[in-house]
Amino acid sequence: MEEALTLYELNNLVKLKISESFPSEYWMQAELGEVREHSSGHCFVEFVQKNERGNGLVAKARGTIWSNVYRMLKPYFEKETGQSFVAGLKVMVQVTVEFHELYGYSLTVIDIDPTYTVGDMARKRKEILDRLQQDGVLSLNKELDLPRVVQRIAVISSPTAAGYGDFCHQLEHNSQGFVFYIRLFPALMQGEGTEDSIISALNRIYEEQELWDVVVLIRGGGATSDMSCFDSYELASNCAQFPLPMLVGLGHERDETVLDFVAHTSVKTPTAAAVFLIDRIQDFADALDEVMERLSSFSRQRMNEEKMRLQGLSMRLPTRVVQYISDEKLRMQKCENRLKQVSSMKVEKEKYRMMYLGQKLPMALKQLFDREKHRLQMLEQKTESASPERILSRGYSLTLKDGKAVTDATVLKEGDSLVSRFARGQSLSIVKTIKTDSHERTDV
Amino acid sequence: MKEQTYEEAMARLEKITAQIESGELDIDHLCDKLKEAQELIKFCKDKLYKTDENIQKILESVAEK
Repeated sequence: MEEALTLYELNNLVKLKISESFPSEYWMQAELGEVREHSSGHCFVEFVQKNERGNGLVAKARGTIWSNVYRMLKPYFEKETGQSFVAGLKVMVQVTVEFHELYGYSLTVIDIDPTYTVGDMARKRKEILDRLQQDGVLSLNKELDLPRVVQRIAVISSPTAAGYGDFCHQLEHNSQGFVFYIRLFPALMQGEGTEDSIISALNRIYEEQELWDVVVLIRGGGATSDMSCFDSYELASNCAQFPLPMLVGLGHERDETVLDFVAHTSVKTPTAAAVFLIDRIQDFADALDEVMERLSSFSRQRMNEEKMRLQGLSMRLPTRVVQYISDEKLRMQKCENRLKQVSSMKVEKEKYRMMYLGQKLPMALKQLFDREKHRLQMLEQKTESASPERILSRGYSLTLKDGKAVTDATVLKEGDSLVSRFARGQSLSIVKTIKTDSHERTDV
Repeated sequence: MKEQTYEEAMARLEKITAQIESGELDIDHLCDKLKEAQELIKFCKDKLYKTDENIQKILESVAEK
């Protein structure tokens, strides 16, 4: 039986074979599955390759970036890509293949090509944008009307982020004294879970959307940070279709993320977002002032015109009044004349009538008198034939008792003395018997 | 009742200004319109510069939920 190798000896053999077989450096494309910066300054990563559907791994390898390399490589990468060196990125790195008796297979990174990552991020962004375009939602948020005055602001940010503090400070201490109402809807703004965390904040705002004018998505600027989480289809799709206008200030300096693209308005930093909102109100306030100025200057001008008109009128007034008075005088004169004429005619007419009457009156009176005289004569003739003397002279006599004529024998008593009157003379007699028969006569 | 918005106020103000500047208003109407314009401007300025306690309260009460 051959003598057995120790594990170390075997691993050492492998190590030798590998270093013989892979003597040079290799450019390799892979995705960063994990990135850990060690306090020593070294960076340990995990390279992965996913299958075509993106849901399983087909290859995996540990990688090491020694601190002397990482010190140079990290800033270079971040400057070129505008993106921090984090898991999830696709990178092209130059590596040497190593095998260590204790640590096994690993790749040591000696260089990186950021353009590959830039290209990959751009491609990924483009894919997402194309997909949003196909969904028909790409420009929905941009098409919303951002009110002229935005005061009620729902902020999605990390409460500890410096950017959030800057934003609030800027708004609350704006020199013009505009009022803002701000509420934070906290969310993770980097690393894993960012996407879900922001979407859930959006959902909370959605529940009370009528309370807000705008959603502001911000995070601190400064050092280059991981923007890849904002190149997410789900998040972008949510933002694009959100019913309130979105204002984003993600604090990055290079390429726009998909979120910048779908948001209603995109600015570089949280501070810029605050300035944008303040300026917008300032524009409105300026417009108000302008309207006020236009109104007041025009009204002043109009009042001046009216004053002038009034002055002109008051100057013309005296001559007009004189004219008026003389017109009225003339009118009155005319009236008087006409009145005189008419009244004198009337008087003449009445005079003539009276004269005519004066002539007619005596004649009428004489006629009246004659008529009355004739009537009297007739009456006289009539009464004469009915006088007592004429009746007595025809043989009738009148019997008187106590000076009164007796026409009824029943008023008499035996022994009454009566006087009988005749046409000539009278006699005294005493009543002897009375017969009430109208044919009987009293004996005398 | 729906509260008047800045947009509505501004639209009204612009209309009034155009009307006044066209010179077709007599002096009595001019005064009325000016008064209305002043009220609209005051409405806007109040909203811009004064904290509305109502809005504040609503937003705070929702936040406490």
